Amino acid sequence: MTTPMLRRDGRTRTMLNRLGFGSFVLPLTLFMLLVFCLPLIGVVRTSICDGDCSLVAYVDFATGKLFHRALINTLSIGFVTGLVSVICGYFVAYHLSRMTARRRRFFLVLVMLPFWTSILVKSFAFTVILGTDGIINNALQAVTGTDIVIPMIFNRAGVIIGMAHWLIPFAVFPILSSLLSQDKALRDAAEIMGARPWDIFWKVTFPLSLPGVIAGGLMSSVIGMGSFVTPALLGGRRDMMMANLVDFYVREALDWRMASAIAVILVLIALLILSLAAWLRQRQESGAAA
Amino acid sequence: MTTNKLSLQQVSKAYGYVDALHPTDLNVAESEFVTLLGPSGSGKTTLLKIIAGMERPSGGRVFINGRDTTETPVRERDLGMVFQNYALMPHLSVFDNVAFPLKVRKTGAEEIRRKVGEALGTVQLAHLADRKPQALSGGQQQRVSIARAIVYNPSLVLMDEPLGALDKKLREQLQHEIKQLHERLGITILYVTHDQQEAMSMSDRIALMNEGRIEQLGAPRELYFSPKTAFAADFLGNSNFIEATVSEVSAAATRCRLSGGEELLAPRRDGVRQGDAVRLMVRPEHIRLIGGDGAAEDNVLTASSLGPTFFGDALEIRAQIADGSEVSVKVANNFEVAAAAPGQPLRLGWSSDHTHLFASGSGR
Amino acid sequence: MRFLTKNLSLPVIVTWLIYVFLLVPSLVVIPISFGTSNELVFPPQDWGLDLYRRALDPAEGWLAAAGRSMVLGILATTIALLMGVPAAYGLSRSRFPGQKALTFMLMSPIFAPTIVVALALYLYFATLGMTGTMAALAMSHAVVITPFILVTTLSGLKHLDRNIENAAMVMGATRLQIFFHVVLPALKGSVLTGGLFAFLLSFDEVIVSWFIARSDQPTLPVKMYSSIQWEISPVLSAISTFLVAITVVGSVVAAFISSAETDGI
Repeated sequence: MTTPMLRRDGRTRTMLNRLGFGSFVLPLTLFMLLVFCLPLIGVVRTSICDGDCSLVAYVDFATGKLFHRALINTLSIGFVTGLVSVICGYFVAYHLSRMTARRRRFFLVLVMLPFWTSILVKSFAFTVILGTDGIINNALQAVTGTDIVIPMIFNRAGVIIGMAHWLIPFAVFPILSSLLSQDKALRDAAEIMGARPWDIFWKVTFPLSLPGVIAGGLMSSVIGMGSFVTPALLGGRRDMMMANLVDFYVREALDWRMASAIAVILVLIALLILSLAAWLRQRQESGAAA
Repeated sequence: MTTNKLSLQQVSKAYGYVDALHPTDLNVAESEFVTLLGPSGSGKTTLLKIIAGMERPSGGRVFINGRDTTETPVRERDLGMVFQNYALMPHLSVFDNVAFPLKVRKTGAEEIRRKVGEALGTVQLAHLADRKPQALSGGQQQRVSIARAIVYNPSLVLMDEPLGALDKKLREQLQHEIKQLHERLGITILYVTHDQQEAMSMSDRIALMNEGRIEQLGAPRELYFSPKTAFAADFLGNSNFIEATVSEVSAAATRCRLSGGEELLAPRRDGVRQGDAVRLMVRPEHIRLIGGDGAAEDNVLTASSLGPTFFGDALEIRAQIADGSEVSVKVANNFEVAAAAPGQPLRLGWSSDHTHLFASGSGR
Repeated sequence: MRFLTKNLSLPVIVTWLIYVFLLVPSLVVIPISFGTSNELVFPPQDWGLDLYRRALDPAEGWLAAAGRSMVLGILATTIALLMGVPAAYGLSRSRFPGQKALTFMLMSPIFAPTIVVALALYLYFATLGMTGTMAALAMSHAVVITPFILVTTLSGLKHLDRNIENAAMVMGATRLQIFFHVVLPALKGSVLTGGLFAFLLSFDEVIVSWFIARSDQPTLPVKMYSSIQWEISPVLSAISTFLVAITVVGSVVAAFISSAETDGI
């Protein structure tokens, strides 16, 4: 520590030393402040000040019929896909939780594969599968001998099928981890005390997995509400969500202020749901300790 | 004649080529407290799982309360069980945990309230009925678990190392409570432990298990004072083993010669012949230190002290005998330690009645 | 357990149907890609490699888009690894005030609606006059994928025995020496899988690129997006098959690395 070379920059050294391991976080923190936080603040600013400063975009949002429909679409599609994802995800997670770790590794690849498959591949595949001239409708016509066509695409059903497919893995993982963290002795105990499999599931396994269910449901809802590609490619004109409006105002209407205001509202909704999740978890933890 | 609460007939378990449990018989009478005692891997957990129905036996039959339950699903075996890690439902209150077995039996609300109240009263936890299990101490949680296992009057209560997770003081207190509960309520208990002291203090009978079979079955005193094998002698209590060769077999006793030249007397044992290599066992508390002119016992060895160790309630002196093996002696804690300083010559004496003779190479 | 599966046979059927639902879209594109007709038919009437020939035709632009996505993925993953791995180490080995808030900030690109991130970066780089540049794209992707590097690295760090680091520190190693000689070698597996997935994430990313990339120089997903939007061409099935193949290889390699890792412990 006494060599002159070290003494020269001794000051920065002491500072970094006091930060300790924290200094490892410094580069990423600076990067995220500059390329993530600053741009986000920029969105809030643009939603109010774009040339002049006013709340006109928010007022428009509160009064415009188009915006109301997008808001309702966003909330309801998010809610329904969250629900569908959690229900489907529970079946998969339960199945995964009741096998050996070795077998699970294989089945997890089956879940991961669609998780990592490009959403565009999936959207393209769904247009081929669900379309009016698609695989399902062709098969139906062949089987029934009629020219029946079930509209499953460019409408609400298409959006929900496509989004659920995308979001099921997001629901599987929290549910799986809460199922795996359950002590098997609890189920053994219930069985010895005379509980039937049905009782064991509804009175022991399911209530104990609720934190995972809630986390998975809120997670997939929040992600679903921000989705952009699926409603654009699989939905109809009436299924426009807030994310699509953002795109519309940037590219077509060239109204950055409006686009920013919609984005801010979307973030607020996500924050609201996430804090609801945090609150639920906290309540649960404090309830367990009381 | 009353039926046994539990009866095992030639129950066995094999995993592939490994025999986890050799064909085993065991009967547990009503209101009896029987302990499966043994080291890990001795087959006691396998046996318990077969009785509970969590494992299928490879052979044999299991009878609970006179009924053949070998093929009966777990939930219909009418068993109670206390687990080592309590296995209390974290999302249910203490009351609801104890009420669980009654609820799955569709018992009426009024009766549930009464029975749960009684059971919690029995374990002195009625005042904590509304708490969640996590808010209770380990000892309290295990008492809840016990209340839950007895509230529906099962034929047999299984206890799988229930005190294993508790510290020594609490363990002793709960041993006492479980024993009292057993005497007061007359429940039938099959208890599993690897702790010999716990087994001896609580059980009516102990089934000592080793390498997948019951090595010896009997009352605690019987196992302690008349161990049938060197393993039994070694596992229960402390023991000194001395290698010897049989030099003479008479009607009353067996005379054995040590490699150091000394001779020791042991009770007669069938099947032991002159020239056989044997192991003699004597418990440390049965050995006396004999002064220069003290009254002689019928077995006496000279030894050289390796030094004393103080245990509070007693003093242990380790000594080396002529053949080089070590012997430990338990004496009162007020013993003059200078007399046992390392290198001091000692004379060890004990009665031939306290000498146990085993075939060489058995046990351990 | 035995009678449980027997009683729950309906749930078991439902479970398998869900697996089918999850897998079919990734698989259905494969047979279509070997058809020849100009219309989407399943199963194809004639088989051939026409669609691949068209996908590889430089005039169609798919090759250039794929190349662009590849370069972008490598750049973004490199940036994310260089900053994310040390950051995860720092976060896991220290306690300082505001740590929770900082962690939340670093992770938040996962939770934030991607469209908002895309808009924010679009406005930001537009102000800086950088829209459409590779630098802007790489930084934008780095923002999106770094949280995943953090997650995988943090979970890898959880399995490390801290006493080994403490021992190194007692023996006089500096924090940097410990990081490079003790922690990084032990973390190889998680860093590799994290990096692999981050690359896949960037390679498939469409929303941010849709906003940032120049429309005459699209990335592969952006080109697919506009193509699906305007006319659903059968060529897309060949591109999709290519993407599915990349995903399968990535997932299998990652599963292999992580299982080798856990087996090793």
